[in-house]
Amino acid sequence: MITAELLSEVKALIQEDRIVEGENDHLLGNNGLVKVYPQTEEEISAILKYANENGKKVFVEGNGTKRGFGGLSESADILLSLADYKGIVEHVVGDMTLTVKAGTNFKKLQDYLAEHKQKISLDPFHPEAATIGGIVSSNDSGPKRLGYGSSRDVVIGLRIVYPDGKVIRSGGRVVKNVAGYDMNKLFIGSMGTLGVFSEVTVKLRPLPKYESLILLFFPQGNMEEIKAFAQKLLDSTMEPVTLELLSPALSEGLTGQSCYTLAIGLEDVETSVQYQENFIKSIQPENTNMKILTLTDAQAFWNQFYSLHSLESESLITSASLKIGVVNMDVTQVMKESQLLGDSHHLEVQAHGGLGHGLCQVNLKGSKEDVVSAIQQMRETVAGLGGYVVIKHLPFALRQEVDTWGPKPAHFFLLEGIKSKVDPNKVLNPKRFVGGI
Amino acid sequence: MAVKGIKSKDRHILNLANIVGDARSIIYHKEDLIAYDCDGFTLHKHLPKAVVFPNNTDDVAALVKYCSDNQLPFLARGAGTGLSGGAIPLNGEVIISMVRMKKLLSVDFENRRAVVQPGFVNLKLTNSIADKGYYYAPDPSSQYCCTIGGNVAENAGGAHCLKYGVTTNHILGLEVVLPNGEIVEIGANGIPDAPGYDLLGLLTGSEGTLGIVTKITVRILKNPEAKKTVLAYFDKVEDGSQAVSDIISAGIVPAALEMMDKIAIEGVEAAAFPVGHPKDIEAFLLIEVDGIEAGLDEQINNIMEVCKKRNVREVRAAETEEERARWWANRKTGFGAMGAISPDYLVQDGVIPRSRLPEVLNNINNISQEYGLRIANIFHAGDGNLHPLVLFDARIPGQREAALEAGSACLQACADVGGTITGEHGVGVEKREEMRFVFTDEEIIAQTDIREVFNPFNLLNAGKLFPTPGRCVEIKRELKEKETAIS
Amino acid sequence: MSVTEIDLKRDPACTTGLSNYLAKDHPDENKWADCVHCGMCLESCPTYEITGQEQHSPRGRVHLIKSVAEGKLNVNEFFMDPIFACLDCRACTTACPADVEVGGLIEEARGQVRQAMPLTGLKGTVSKMFLQGLFPHHNRLNSLGGLLRFYQKSGMQKVVRKTKLINIMPQHLVDMEAIMPEVKEPVRKKYKNTDVIKAKGQTKNEVAMLTGCVMDVMFSDINEATINVLTRNGNDVTIPKNQTCCGALHVHAGDRDTGRKLAKQNIEAFKDSEKVIVNAAGCGCALKEYPELFRDDAEWYKKAEEFSAKIEDISKYLYDTGYEKPKAELNTRITYHDACHLAHGQGIRHEPRDLLLNIPGVEMVHMPNSDRCCGSAGIYNITNPEMASAVLESKMQNVPEDVEMISMGNPGCMLQMAMGVQKHGRNQKIVHTVQLLDWAYQKEDGKEVL
Repeated sequence: MITAELLSEVKALIQEDRIVEGENDHLLGNNGLVKVYPQTEEEISAILKYANENGKKVFVEGNGTKRGFGGLSESADILLSLADYKGIVEHVVGDMTLTVKAGTNFKKLQDYLAEHKQKISLDPFHPEAATIGGIVSSNDSGPKRLGYGSSRDVVIGLRIVYPDGKVIRSGGRVVKNVAGYDMNKLFIGSMGTLGVFSEVTVKLRPLPKYESLILLFFPQGNMEEIKAFAQKLLDSTMEPVTLELLSPALSEGLTGQSCYTLAIGLEDVETSVQYQENFIKSIQPENTNMKILTLTDAQAFWNQFYSLHSLESESLITSASLKIGVVNMDVTQVMKESQLLGDSHHLEVQAHGGLGHGLCQVNLKGSKEDVVSAIQQMRETVAGLGGYVVIKHLPFALRQEVDTWGPKPAHFFLLEGIKSKVDPNKVLNPKRFVGGI
Repeated sequence: MAVKGIKSKDRHILNLANIVGDARSIIYHKEDLIAYDCDGFTLHKHLPKAVVFPNNTDDVAALVKYCSDNQLPFLARGAGTGLSGGAIPLNGEVIISMVRMKKLLSVDFENRRAVVQPGFVNLKLTNSIADKGYYYAPDPSSQYCCTIGGNVAENAGGAHCLKYGVTTNHILGLEVVLPNGEIVEIGANGIPDAPGYDLLGLLTGSEGTLGIVTKITVRILKNPEAKKTVLAYFDKVEDGSQAVSDIISAGIVPAALEMMDKIAIEGVEAAAFPVGHPKDIEAFLLIEVDGIEAGLDEQINNIMEVCKKRNVREVRAAETEEERARWWANRKTGFGAMGAISPDYLVQDGVIPRSRLPEVLNNINNISQEYGLRIANIFHAGDGNLHPLVLFDARIPGQREAALEAGSACLQACADVGGTITGEHGVGVEKREEMRFVFTDEEIIAQTDIREVFNPFNLLNAGKLFPTPGRCVEIKRELKEKETAIS
Repeated sequence: MSVTEIDLKRDPACTTGLSNYLAKDHPDENKWADCVHCGMCLESCPTYEITGQEQHSPRGRVHLIKSVAEGKLNVNEFFMDPIFACLDCRACTTACPADVEVGGLIEEARGQVRQAMPLTGLKGTVSKMFLQGLFPHHNRLNSLGGLLRFYQKSGMQKVVRKTKLINIMPQHLVDMEAIMPEVKEPVRKKYKNTDVIKAKGQTKNEVAMLTGCVMDVMFSDINEATINVLTRNGNDVTIPKNQTCCGALHVHAGDRDTGRKLAKQNIEAFKDSEKVIVNAAGCGCALKEYPELFRDDAEWYKKAEEFSAKIEDISKYLYDTGYEKPKAELNTRITYHDACHLAHGQGIRHEPRDLLLNIPGVEMVHMPNSDRCCGSAGIYNITNPEMASAVLESKMQNVPEDVEMISMGNPGCMLQMAMGVQKHGRNQKIVHTVQLLDWAYQKEDGKEVL
């Protein structure tokens, strides 16, 4: 059998106890006939080299939190898991830089850094399960992007194993670097289609000395009011790190109040945070309620927030998650539209979006026909706003019906050109990315 | 049909003139072209074939297509303030000057973005939105005159990028003319994370080798509520650089953390914007914090404490906006000010891990002694970005070569401690060979492979950014010969 | 290669083996050695703003001048174009971090061009007529003034304007004609037989006054106002007889020999004066720079240095020595334009503003880029009308609309700005700073002004 042959060949590359037979018919796809757990860069390199020279396909995963994110082939020959390729390579406390192996768990990293009063200023979803490599590879970010940016602002260096097995470094270990092309950017968000991350170097930030979270409830749900308030706050000199609008259903799950809610995060020294709280109180619109959570209460809120969307796969109810990018203030339009779609398609909808950065996440649950139809309708609406919809999570079968990435951009030939230069044999994560790359 | 006023028999000149449409939009006489034989990096010079001045994207596309169809090398140039020679026409390029495309196309305060043409001057953006309390964050020292298009090409930094990031962190969208003349739009509407590889990130800092930017959407920021600026004088360079490390590891994120050493201070004090720094100090730190006013005092106190622990002689905060502006003018004109104490200088741009500052400064001092050339240091200490300025006199035989070697040795010293060869000035012509200090042949090929996707015939700004693999020795010899021929 | 190129490579007079300059009065190497080509000057340069071309920028021009010295270029018409398109506004000197004296270099280079290629054609004729035939001769200027007075008073002006005769004049002359100030009797004529115009009240200082050539004919009222203000503040004023045109325009045009001749005459004429008061920024700047003309002549260099130390602009003189603050209210909204040769050339910015703000009732509206050249630049608006008008256009964009007067300290600017106001259909009055002060004094004395 192919598997037996493959298995024996792979055994020559990596210790036997690091190879398992792949599972079939996973609801989310992205399987491998064999699954390997390399522990060294050499092993990763050897596996890729083997695949490249023998016409094999390789899927890459960290801890599998993004298994439902793209991919049109049910299974590759090899599923390369980085779950056992983990650990800190170098942490220079005084330089505030950190180099880690790609499979390192994000939550554990943050806990470790917290001992040094430092953090990676990313707030991805499912931090307890996600790996740093997966987060960077899928360019995942949360509400705090407003204050701290995303992977492209945080990652300063990468070690990448190319599909032919050679190891390429991009960037470096310093916080400012323009030597050569900024190749880091090419790999961030490339969904593993160009290379396998071996090590990721990030710049760190100090943990805030104090933090609070203002929840501003809008029981009447008047979008114009919400928008006017957000603009007033953004046009002030206050420095919120989040300005996330939560849909009523989402807010109910998190706060117990079923109405549109703004989650305004403040992180700084205590005097500054309190000053900002006071300012926000002073411009609090009529007919709204406010609740302020501080320190651990605020952190608890966010922990719950990042893990709200279930990764459980069920066969009867279809669950989907959309990442939607629009111009900042159009976030309110997206929120309105998701509310309407929920009603018209009998879906359970939880949505949130950042009024300071324009990125929304909409989680849908319902029958598969309704989910597909709602996604399509959302795409039309968002296209009208000049934005895009990317499906972060959808069962494999439905990904054949509705494109994860939406229409190809006009400059697709450039993306294709890059892919074919780096991975001419289409070894890595084939059909996982835009336009079937 | 010939353009009125063009006196040339060269068909390419005539055809290029036709594209731009009038005699004022092309120059081709040697006397005019010589002003374009270098940029802010003057150790390498070459005459362009012509300089053309397009007014819009279609002009640019037509010019590029013409050059591409006729195999004429070409490159784009902004204000020509680059410090690594990225706009020098090494191959007798047709220079496409972007300075007439200098409009601010739109400002959208609600969504915090602005759209500019590439020739729009950096500081003018901030000046245009200042009345509403907004600004554009990247602030290279040349911001009075450098163009945002050039900033994109070089991924320009600046004093305040310690907290706010460099150009790439502020670019939301680009309209680009590819080397075949095709116009593409990347990051439409300035919305982040558009599906696909991050070409915005790749193009920013590609030193004009992948395409010519014709429209830029940038992020604009609200002015911080307050700023506080501190000046700290040190009797020992080591104390100053230790203070830098201490400030960073104390978890303070200053908006800017700048340092100048004794020779640099001598330069700025002899030039147009003196502050009256004491003559006998070894170094000063210029530290700025910004943000919510209520929180700044705590930060300033922390900074002062750190400085005191490191034996600061005097540390004080600016009392007026005027005083703050004076300190910054003194710092920002630092490079040019070297003209006042030396006929020529070579500025380097290494970056090191911040904690290695004392060690590397010591090494640079050794290099200075070894080559018998004074080296001034002006740097963005907060992010470890050093600017050693090698002072020399090109009229003295051998000094120019010695300066080049000393500069290169400084970069080696940075690379040796895990740093890099350029933090914000770019590789250009200047540091092509030094790319080998930080990248292997394979890594360089990985990058030139990407160039081939965009610029397959290498007509656009050829000879920049990369050494030719395996030919490093020959290139060095060729370089030397060229330089000797010029000087 | 152009036929006009002059190959001087093997000329024995060259200073170095390579230089393509003539030995006499060649551009000063030390001046360009400071330029590190950083580009900080670019945005300050009006001609770069308009053309976007670097040969029309300060560092580009310096680079060209240096290239001739290095033997890479010849002194020819293509070299001449950028060198002569410079407005000589000195804004680049202010912007330059290394204090490169671009203005001085340009003037020296122009001298080289004129030595190598004397002017011919219409430009030559016009230039010669103004520079050699007119400005140095105050009697001829007076006659011209008389003609102008006749032109204005006789109704000719009306006739010319009405009959559309004006339409056949070249555009820039039409523009100039429209704003010609009302010409009055020159002060040099008026005080021909007065040795000292005595101070009102007790004499505190004695000063001499440069009346200027065109100034005294076209703007004798400003000279009159200057005398009034000086005498009111305890100054005895003398008007030395042998004084002549300052030579600024000649030096700007590359005619350094005439410049030197005039300089010598002025140095002699004012040799007994302790202080020389100037109310025209362009003249003041030129007088202060006389030593530049005598770099090759030690004796005159020293004299020129002593002379230049005596020169003072009227606004700075009043500010430094103290003056009586006027008490009458003028009740007017004004804006202030920094003449290039006051702000960039002499570093005088706050003194005139201080004088103006000390007049009760004067409200000052900020003019953005107030130290941007207006395009007058001596006779630049006559020799390079197109560029001058583009520069003016850019200037006018910054002149606030809601003011009654625009104040400044240079007659050339006054003509040019008047043209701008006229072209834009505005109705602002163009005034000299010292005039406003004089009016305030007069009003205080019960006279009707404005």
